[in-house]
Amino acid sequence: MSSAHELDRGFAAALLGEEDHEIVAEIQGDGLDPSARIAIYRNHVFATLTEALEATYPVVVRLVDRRFFGYAADRFIRERPPAGPCVFEYGESLADFLASLPPCRDLVYLPDVARLEWALNRALHAEDAVPLDRRWLADVPADEIGTVRLVLHPSVSLMRSPWPIDRIWRSNQADADPGATVSLDEGGACLTIHRAGDDVVFRTLTPSSYTFRRALADDLDLERAVDAARSVDPSFDLAGTLRELLDEGLIVGGTVSPR
Amino acid sequence: MHVGIGLRAPHVAEVLATRPATGFFEVHTENYLGGGPRVAALERVRRDTPVALHGVGLSLAGGDPLDRRHLVRIKDLVDRIQPVLVSEHLAWSVVGGAYLNHLLPLPYDDTRLDETSRRIEQVQETLGRTILIENPARYLRFHRSPIPEPAFLGELGRRTGCGILLDVNNVYVSTRNFDEDPHEYLAAVPAAAVGEIHLAGHATNHAEERTILIDDHGSRVAEPVWDLYRVALDRFGVVPTLIEWDTNLPELAVLLDEAASAERLVQASQSRERHVVSA
Repeated sequence: MSSAHELDRGFAAALLGEEDHEIVAEIQGDGLDPSARIAIYRNHVFATLTEALEATYPVVVRLVDRRFFGYAADRFIRERPPAGPCVFEYGESLADFLASLPPCRDLVYLPDVARLEWALNRALHAEDAVPLDRRWLADVPADEIGTVRLVLHPSVSLMRSPWPIDRIWRSNQADADPGATVSLDEGGACLTIHRAGDDVVFRTLTPSSYTFRRALADDLDLERAVDAARSVDPSFDLAGTLRELLDEGLIVGGTVSPR
Repeated sequence: MHVGIGLRAPHVAEVLATRPATGFFEVHTENYLGGGPRVAALERVRRDTPVALHGVGLSLAGGDPLDRRHLVRIKDLVDRIQPVLVSEHLAWSVVGGAYLNHLLPLPYDDTRLDETSRRIEQVQETLGRTILIENPARYLRFHRSPIPEPAFLGELGRRTGCGILLDVNNVYVSTRNFDEDPHEYLAAVPAAAVGEIHLAGHATNHAEERTILIDDHGSRVAEPVWDLYRVALDRFGVVPTLIEWDTNLPELAVLLDEAASAERLVQASQSRERHVVSA
């Protein structure tokens, strides 16, 4: 092994459970099998990353059982090790990974529950931003209001699921009624997830409100966002929805494009 | 600020409510690189008590180039928190874009010395201040590793102006794991370069062939480590000392009690020094 990079690569491969004989030749035994020495480092890597995933996905852990989660986390870490140094940013693709895992195939709602938990984690750590003064919007001339593009708070996630993931999530909280059941036939959910003060919250949205917020997040102007919402529900209430967003402090910027 | 404690998330609310008297708090830099309540709470802690930032993710001694985005985020946090100390490790954690969340070992040779020095210089230039580099706990060594660890750290300091964060528990763990003498290690560390000392508990792992000590930060400081700390204080003078605890985190009071033990040894060392000066 000539370069530092090659040596590190060999060590990382041995850590993540691939071939270790090349790196083993570089390591002194000092009275112990070099593979056992590598295993000390491997144990720490897997224990701490599994702990981080368990902290981000407590409901998924409950739904699949902690032992199965440990097995899934082990495979996930090997296949998709962290791409950055902050553990609170690790695990975004766990939902996709679970969706591809054959033993989870019958738990059709599981990936969306994982996506909800990721959105909660993301909201907790998202960058801070100052809400837009509501007078800003009031001062836009009436004939230009349709060209306004609004910026949502960085903590906002919008989710639509065909499964009742909001009720599944709530029924798996410590204070939930242990006898309560959720039927998958109850239907899906449109959700907004964001940070409110020091807390992270989510609530259900009407399909038109979801579509409107989704359009804002996709950087569409108000005219097109309203069109999208009214195509879902002709009685979509623009003024009421904007008031909600402003009250929740979720609009943090805006631009007008004069015609 | 003789002795401080590592501040972990479960203790933050109690610290803000009770404001315990301690020299400083140290946090892991990578836990505070987002927004929201976590970093806001750290700012409130910082109003009353100095805060040190202890990094675990820059991979200074690795083969991958420095992660500039990560460094910029650290710079932003340093500007926001105005830490009293900034430190990192003589270790690597990143290769080919995979971040392995551990302080991994390296051979101590000239190539690594050159590369690590260059990265420390880059970090210090970006942050506009010198940093401290910590000796890692080690569970293996490489065949081709000609430079002893304390000499490697000393040379990093000589080339870059960085200081040494001497983890006395790691000195004990690493030397015991390789049947070396921890006192010889301490004697080989350039005294003027030591800018901070870490203390923590370790675990004893009875492997089949031999006993391995593991730096798990999961218990009180072991008696032989306190003994080494006494020697370190006499050799390196009174530098800021930190009690670290990460695994099986106990009540805050236990950490403060460990800090009080360290403070008593600091006082004893100072009175020994006065005695020597006046004799």
